Amino acid sequence: MTSPMIRMTGMVKRYGPVAAIDGVDFQLGEGEIHSLLGENGAGKSTLTKMLSGVATPTSGVIELDGRPVTFETPADAMRAGINMVYQENSLVPSMSVAQNLFMGDEKLFNRLRPLYIAAQQFLQSLNFNVDPWASVSTLGVAQRQMVEIARAVRKNARVIVFDEPTASLTPEEKHHFFNLIRRLKQDRVSIIFISHALEEALEISDRITILRDGKLVETGDAKDFDRARIIAGMVGRESGIEGETAPADAKPPGKRVLSVQNLSMGKAVRNTSFSLYSGQVTGIFGLIGSGRTETAKVISGVLKRNMFHGGEVWLEDKPVRYRVPRTAMRDGIVYVTEDRKAEGFFDDMSIAENIGMGFLAAGFNKSQVVRRSDIAEVAKYWTGKFNVAALSNEARVIELSGGNQQKVVIAKSLVQKPRVVFFDEPTRGVDVGAIAEIHRLIRELSRSGITVVVISSYLPEILSISDRILVCRKGRIVEEFAAGTAEEKTIMYAAVH
Amino acid sequence: MSGGGKKARGISQEGIVIAISAVIFLVFAVTQPVFRTPENILSLIQNVSILGILAVAMALTIIGRGIDLSLVAIMAVSAAWVLQLSNNGMPIGLACLIGLGLALLIGLVNGILIAYLEIPAIFATLAIATAAYGFVRSMLLEDNLIYLKAAQDTWFKVIGSGDVLGVPNPVILFAIVALVVHLFLKHAVKGRFLYAMGENPSAARITGLPNRPMVLLQYLLAAAIAFLAGLIMATSVDSIETRIARSTLVYDIILVVVIGGVGLAGGKGKVRNVIVGTLMIGILLNGMTILNTPYTIQNIIKSVILLAAIIVDSVMNPRDEQTSQQGDI
Repeated sequence: MTSPMIRMTGMVKRYGPVAAIDGVDFQLGEGEIHSLLGENGAGKSTLTKMLSGVATPTSGVIELDGRPVTFETPADAMRAGINMVYQENSLVPSMSVAQNLFMGDEKLFNRLRPLYIAAQQFLQSLNFNVDPWASVSTLGVAQRQMVEIARAVRKNARVIVFDEPTASLTPEEKHHFFNLIRRLKQDRVSIIFISHALEEALEISDRITILRDGKLVETGDAKDFDRARIIAGMVGRESGIEGETAPADAKPPGKRVLSVQNLSMGKAVRNTSFSLYSGQVTGIFGLIGSGRTETAKVISGVLKRNMFHGGEVWLEDKPVRYRVPRTAMRDGIVYVTEDRKAEGFFDDMSIAENIGMGFLAAGFNKSQVVRRSDIAEVAKYWTGKFNVAALSNEARVIELSGGNQQKVVIAKSLVQKPRVVFFDEPTRGVDVGAIAEIHRLIRELSRSGITVVVISSYLPEILSISDRILVCRKGRIVEEFAAGTAEEKTIMYAAVH
Repeated sequence: MSGGGKKARGISQEGIVIAISAVIFLVFAVTQPVFRTPENILSLIQNVSILGILAVAMALTIIGRGIDLSLVAIMAVSAAWVLQLSNNGMPIGLACLIGLGLALLIGLVNGILIAYLEIPAIFATLAIATAAYGFVRSMLLEDNLIYLKAAQDTWFKVIGSGDVLGVPNPVILFAIVALVVHLFLKHAVKGRFLYAMGENPSAARITGLPNRPMVLLQYLLAAAIAFLAGLIMATSVDSIETRIARSTLVYDIILVVVIGGVGLAGGKGKVRNVIVGTLMIGILLNGMTILNTPYTIQNIIKSVILLAAIIVDSVMNPRDEQTSQQGDI
């Protein structure tokens, strides 16, 4: 590599007494794809936020083309050609794709027709199949991301930082995305790629940097790394999801606890039927938009089903229809959300208060008066059982890493003593160490006789945890596999065809 | 723990407000001899008691991620109807019950509109404020200004005009309301639910909290507290002017709540914050009155303070996802 385009030396960023980044050096060459890997809380986002002007470094020097630079705001960084594409969208939902693309560059007399023609040509040149006239609010997650990427490219970005870009993409969309990244590379654009998907990072990167606890672990050419070495670097030990094989002790179905017959809701859930059995883990695999989340949400009362939506749900021998999660929870059906930030936890409350809220909502409190000691005791039991890493149970949940947040959200549901638990993407945005722990918990839970459902779009996860696999496509369960009889290929085939 | 105090950041909004209040208090006390007399201090607290009680009610709704712009209207029309019924010959005890019923009915309508028809609280309560005032004034009351006549010499009169050991009753009632609501918010299951719902309504729903009944409860409580404020007002000045429903009093209430540090985004704040806000505004209003500051100038000063408080609130309790994301570092 010739002299790097970006050289960050001795970067330190403190939030209060805590150093999120502690003396990290980082180099990025022109036209290089550089993966930044590490557990949640390792400091990947913080490092890139300093580069893109979102966070101000406590100390350290950033050099661009050999000259020291400081970025006070994201706009400064953007002017220097450094763009960040966030997990969360920064598009205006009510505007069209073209308007979003050209936002900030409108002429005084902004005629729309040339704008749309230019947008169309531009999107075609990138091989993006997005309608420039479409309003962003009508687009799916993947398409929104394509628009964001297109916008960064259009601004002549020299460096684009992608924070978890593939988390919400289907395999086909991922393929497109990686092609695009390779094309950007040919145009001498440098890419920083933050991801939890190690295979992707290995496949696409030129170089890999691993961070742990805000410190640099190692950096080197991608060809020198393999999965085991990365995981060892990330967690300081060999761990992660063990193999992609079925669990050795797969359990046959127990008693039928929940059965769903011809359930429908709008376009998301179409005439689906299946049963769930106690004492085993049922994995539901499906691509984004296949209706798996909606199915679980309808059953557990999170989505309201009105009289026009057909079908029946039987809990043992009783037909049930829930309009709010509260009644479902009281009957023992809980849903652990895939989006913990939006609907999982109370960010300003402590760990104890979050877990306690589940306890109170279930009506386990003896009186109308809350006793802090009771709540503290319940919280202590669950944080101990789940190995939640925090200074104390009085720490605010927002200050925890993704994995610990997820454990708190799960504990908040389990404290309600459910009979049926839907885990929706239980390990999304969770670090490798915590994934193993969460999987162990889920298995323990099912072995104690509880009916457990795990929804995931990550095949290795489904394969390693399920006793039985259901495949969801276009709003219905289309295929069922017993553990051990299914391979990745057959499951994926069922999910896409 | 989930309150307004932001210990991690060193300086809390509450601390700033207490400091500013102390400075204003000292300035007035040094420059205006009238201000520092015990009589004036007592009347200062008495004058802000009603404002403080209404602010406690407002804080309840704001903590639950709502707002109640109909508080003043509920206070005025329910208290006025009590006086009217009593003047027409009804026993005052029964009149009070009926007045409370009216207040709760308006609160219930607010709650149903917000919880079940999912109308934004700010619009629902704004409309109900106008509707309630118009309906009661035209259908139930004889005049805008209703005097306390028939119940002049009963226990009723004592509510707002008596005192215990020299402490005026309004002050004592403010203290009682503040204490009860404080205990409710801090220790009752429903109080904790209110914080959770204000903090993150979607998470509260998924966790199995009774969101809609909680919204009803919060507007019913606010209406009941407003009714009490109405009785105090009516008995301390022997009349009630229903046109107060159309005054700027409701903005003063919001001023008190926000300045004390109850976050407008919901889920944050304690009764303590309301008391601090009430004291600051009380000192300010009293001092400006002694200084003979014209009413319009007072309004300008109040509005500048309200703006400043909202700005501080939005800095300390940011609603922007990107800046408040500390979890993923």
